[in-house]
Amino acid sequence: MVLTPEQTVLYRRNILLSGIGENGQERLLSSSALLVGAGGLASSAAYYLAAAGVGRLGLMDDDVVEPSNLQRQILHSAKDVGRAKVESAAEKLRALNPGLCVEILRERLTPDNAGKVIAGYDVVIDCTDNFASRFIINDTCLELGRTFIYGGVLAFSGQLFTVVPGRGPCLRCIFPREPDAGAPGCEQLGVLGAVPGVIGALQAAEAVKYLLGLGELLIGRLLIFDALTMTFHEVGLQADPDCPSCGPRRMGAGALRPSC
Amino acid sequence: MNLDVRVFGGLEKLLSGVRFGESIPVDVAAGATVRELLSVLGIPPEKVFNVLVNGRHAEMHTVLHERDRISLFPPVGGG
Repeated sequence: MVLTPEQTVLYRRNILLSGIGENGQERLLSSSALLVGAGGLASSAAYYLAAAGVGRLGLMDDDVVEPSNLQRQILHSAKDVGRAKVESAAEKLRALNPGLCVEILRERLTPDNAGKVIAGYDVVIDCTDNFASRFIINDTCLELGRTFIYGGVLAFSGQLFTVVPGRGPCLRCIFPREPDAGAPGCEQLGVLGAVPGVIGALQAAEAVKYLLGLGELLIGRLLIFDALTMTFHEVGLQADPDCPSCGPRRMGAGALRPSC
Repeated sequence: MNLDVRVFGGLEKLLSGVRFGESIPVDVAAGATVRELLSVLGIPPEKVFNVLVNGRHAEMHTVLHERDRISLFPPVGGG
C-alpha cells in the first residue's frame, strides 16, 4: 500500500521520525493490535495506537461503563455510563482517526476463545485487571508466537514488560500464580488516574516499536513507575527454566519447544 | 550475609525511611530464606505477591546468598 496525500499529512510527525518514514507508516497501517480490556490501561494505550495509525485495533471487554470508571478511563465519558465499554471506546477511537478499522469483541477472554481471537492480531496489549486473564494471554501468546505487553497498576504505581515468545521470560516466569483471593487491588486501595495513563502510553509506545522493529523492547526488563516519588525503576527479569508455561517441562507440553 | 533489597508498589510504606525502589542493604544470617528476610524487614508475607532474586522469581522457602539482589512486590494487577 502507498500513503495517500491525506495520510502523509495526518502522520507527518511519525514519518519524520528516524526509523519510521513513509515505509514505517505504511507498515503501521497494515498492522493490527488487540487490547484485552477497555478500561484504564486501554484508554491510554488505545488512543495512542489509534493516533499512531495502527490500521486495525481490536477491543475486547464484556463490561459496561460505570461512574467510578470515569476517574481514569478516559476513553469513556459521562454520557456513556451504562453502555458497553467496547462500543464507547470504538466510538471515540473512530472519531480520533476515522481511517482505522476498530473491531469490538464484547466478550471476556477465555481459554476457549483466546486462540482464535489472538491469532487475528499482530500484537497484544494486556489491559486487563486480573492475573487469570493475563495467564490466558500469556499461554495463548506463547502457543501462537505472539508478542504481548503486560501492564499493571496499583494505587500510585504501575509497571510493564514485554513478552516476546522465544526471547526472555514469559509472564509466568515472573508471576507463577494468581494473587491470593484476599489480596487488595485498586478496588480496595484506589489508583491515581494518571498512573494507568502513563503505563498505557508506554504500552502503546512498546507496541509501535515492536511493530516497526525500533529501539530496544522491554524484554526481560520490568519498568516500574511511582507517581509519588516521580521515579522510574528497572528490574532485570530472568526466564525460569522450570516455568510451567514456557519451560521445557511445561504442563501439557507436546513436542519439546525451546524455552523462552 | 549482605543483601541488596528493593521494595515496590507501596510495600515501602511498611518500612521506615525507605523510598520506593530504593536499594537498601540488609544483613541477615547466612542461609536465610526469603521468609526470614521478610521477618527481619517486618513485612508480612501475605502482603508480598512476588519476590525476584537476581531477576528470577523466588518462593518463601528460597535460600538467599551473599549479595543477592532482591525485589519485593505486592500484586500490581489493576488495569
